[in-house]
Amino acid sequence: MSLKRYIIRRLAEMAIIFWIIQTVLFFLFHLAPGDPLSRMVDPGMTHEEEMILTEQLGLREPVGTQYLYFLGNFFRGRFGISFHYGRPVARIIAQRLPNTILLFTTAVILSALAGTWLGKLISWRKENRTDKIITVGALVCHTLFLPWIAMLMLWFGAFKLGWFPVTGMISPELWILPQATAPEKALDIAWHMILPMATLFLIHFGSYLLIMRSSMLETLTEDYIFTARAKGLPENVIRDRHAAPNARLPVVTSVGLSLAFSINGGALTETVFSWPGIGRELVFAVSNNDYPLALGCFLLIAAVVLAANLVVDVLYGYLDPRIRY
Amino acid sequence: MKKRSASTTGTRSKRRFCWQQRAACVILAMLITAALAAGCRKVEGRLLRVGLASEPKTLNVWLASDASSRAVLRLVYHCLYERDPETLAFVPWLAESLPVYDPAGKTYTIRLRQARWSDGRPLTSADVAFTVRLIKEFKTPGCSRWKYVLRVETPDPHTVVFRLKKNFATFLSRTLQISILPAHKWKSVANAARHAQKPLAALMRFKNEAPVSSGPFVVRQWRKGAYVYLTRNPYFFGKDKTIAGRRLGPSIDGVLFKFYGTTDVAMLALRKGEMDMYWHHIQPGYMSVLQKNPHIRIVNSPKSAIYFMGFNTRRPPFDDVALRKAVEVLVDKQFIVKRLLQGRGSEMWSVIPEGNKRWYNPGLPRPGQGLNRKQRIKLAFRILSSAGYSWKKPPLDATGRITSRPGELLTPDAKPMAPFTILTPPADYDPARAISGTMIQEWLREIGMPAMARPMEFGALIQQVKVRRNFDAFILGYGRLPLDPDYLRSFFHSRNDRPRGWNISGYHNPEFDRLATAAQREMDPEKRRRLVFAMQAIIAADVPYLPLYLPTLNEAVRTDRFTGWVPMLDGIGNRWSFCLLKAAKGGK
Repeated sequence: MSLKRYIIRRLAEMAIIFWIIQTVLFFLFHLAPGDPLSRMVDPGMTHEEEMILTEQLGLREPVGTQYLYFLGNFFRGRFGISFHYGRPVARIIAQRLPNTILLFTTAVILSALAGTWLGKLISWRKENRTDKIITVGALVCHTLFLPWIAMLMLWFGAFKLGWFPVTGMISPELWILPQATAPEKALDIAWHMILPMATLFLIHFGSYLLIMRSSMLETLTEDYIFTARAKGLPENVIRDRHAAPNARLPVVTSVGLSLAFSINGGALTETVFSWPGIGRELVFAVSNNDYPLALGCFLLIAAVVLAANLVVDVLYGYLDPRIRY
Repeated sequence: MKKRSASTTGTRSKRRFCWQQRAACVILAMLITAALAAGCRKVEGRLLRVGLASEPKTLNVWLASDASSRAVLRLVYHCLYERDPETLAFVPWLAESLPVYDPAGKTYTIRLRQARWSDGRPLTSADVAFTVRLIKEFKTPGCSRWKYVLRVETPDPHTVVFRLKKNFATFLSRTLQISILPAHKWKSVANAARHAQKPLAALMRFKNEAPVSSGPFVVRQWRKGAYVYLTRNPYFFGKDKTIAGRRLGPSIDGVLFKFYGTTDVAMLALRKGEMDMYWHHIQPGYMSVLQKNPHIRIVNSPKSAIYFMGFNTRRPPFDDVALRKAVEVLVDKQFIVKRLLQGRGSEMWSVIPEGNKRWYNPGLPRPGQGLNRKQRIKLAFRILSSAGYSWKKPPLDATGRITSRPGELLTPDAKPMAPFTILTPPADYDPARAISGTMIQEWLREIGMPAMARPMEFGALIQQVKVRRNFDAFILGYGRLPLDPDYLRSFFHSRNDRPRGWNISGYHNPEFDRLATAAQREMDPEKRRRLVFAMQAIIAADVPYLPLYLPTLNEAVRTDRFTGWVPMLDGIGNRWSFCLLKAAKGGK
């Protein structure tokens, strides 16, 4: 099968899977117990007022009719209006998504680079003390409880040392100043990114390191490594030019999926650091029965993960010439 | 040859590594420089930094049902009357004087002050009339209160006449408590919404991100996810005026609202000095740390709220008032306040909180107050025995001593009582309510009642009790009750016992209905007060709701930058505070 035909077939499969996800999510949200109005009403509101509000939010229609409206709107590029914010879901996601991508994608890329680099180095010193210490350290990092390490980072870096801000993505005190310049604002964002990024880095880098290390160790038993050694090549050349490129395949899969999932952010990280990303919005929408917003967020994640899977599969063909479609 | 080539590659690799190292060092140095530069930044001017628990969802007054939106809007849109912080009596605000009521013509006449909107246009009676007509036309949430208003007349730009269909006492205290909107700004919005398929939804979806303000501040900038920045309104009518004996400002330059994801982080920010006030209830667990900081002051205020246990009086077992009364004496409110609220709260004995001095009936009985567990069990035993309940093995033996394991409770028709559940919100939503449920379950089991506390997701809980009416008992709270006691009518009038109605307990009492209707129409304040007292007495006797506790509202402010917070029912986050705050002497 040619690559083109393979991609077309996968796209068709993806469309079907996406529709199934869409349908299941819609009915899950609408059939789950809970009342979207519960947080909008108070004892001062009468029965008639609640009925008016229900009708205006479109919640009086049968679930089947609501589903057809939802599908129709979806194909016209409308993702609905958030009950809570009263604003289009697409606009809310568009506001939050870049913040999440900035933090999480950067953190995933940096931790992947550092993890693979260090994994590559320590696999060459297998069983010595450095390898043991770093492997145990990576395992510890990988299993850290995120809210705990995040609070610890905040307490130490922001409160005790006072070097970093406690919360948020920007310093409002700077951004409200008319004389604040763009470089100052950029540096301000970078300053706010340090603690959350360090937390994410610690959590993610351990897993990349371990994957790279074990993959490298497998590669070292291959014949072409013996051949390279027999040719008299220096160790760093064998490691960097012969072993590492072949060992990177599992890391590519892991990074690809991590990048895809990074768009849903991390509700915990975003909550602790008050980072205005999509993860917090998603949790908020689910807990407040804001169906349109929750559906919008989940569908975006589903679409990106499906697309990332396809990209990783196609990429495999280029990285490993043995793979044919 | 091969060897040389390999070594050249190795050198290149090393060279690249050095270059990467250098780049990383430069980036790190830049970040550290940025950190230091940003860390050295001081707050300029008298800018008050207020922490909120979440970002406001909107600045549209018709959609703002969350605490954060209401906090910001409180400083932007104002009402005709404000409550005095001490007496809670009405004080003319946008109005010039108290309204003049004419019983013959059923009219309220209100004179307006000479006030301006933040864009310099005059605030007139046309704005008031426009706001009322908007409410009535679009049937906005809260509109039903306006159904008794026949029309609004504007004889001159500073006089508004409200003509009522019939007398009703809540006009001033509830109906008129609306934010006045600028007609010149909202007319076009209303016109657009009128032509929409769903007019109310269209009105509620108006973004209103640059509201024209009548309050002391005006919204300058709202950066989503980061902050809302308010600056002084140059046209604020109250500037340097003395109202209710207080000379108003504002003396501060602006208010910067910041948002914090968790209370832990907010407390770190407060202690570090990144905010001046946290406008949210702080759980008692944080108090000891905050109290150690000399620059932080904790303000404890009474709340206009109620936390209660509700019974389903439509079906067994709680259709029997004797059983409800037995539960009442078994519940140790003092224990809940002392242990669960760590002393930061008070026991509740009426469905009107004690802080609402005008309407709270202090003469109500307090069943079980001060009793120990044994005395409670004995009292409950007497109540149940006299109502015909019995036990397979009674909780008291022949000598009147309490037995360790009582047998099953039998109903008056000698059948074992069916197990019942007490629904509560989950502990992550409100630990006090969730743990209260468990405690009450144990207390009721002491006398053989087959009680089971069941935490349930908040939305599902509301659906279960308010829509489906499928429950035995529940523990809920209303965190912001209006000061006017008309909500008693919503809670207990038999007409409100319908799906989604507020009479969740299904309570029916013709005498209560009569008093509630009379209280709504009684224009004489003293007579109305007596009626409300009588309504509270009926509820205390029939116990459809068992008031449990009222937590104190704990707020924290920094004292090193600003002083002059005004304590009031429902906390220091009131309009008076923001109009009276001053920079602290020697403040940073």
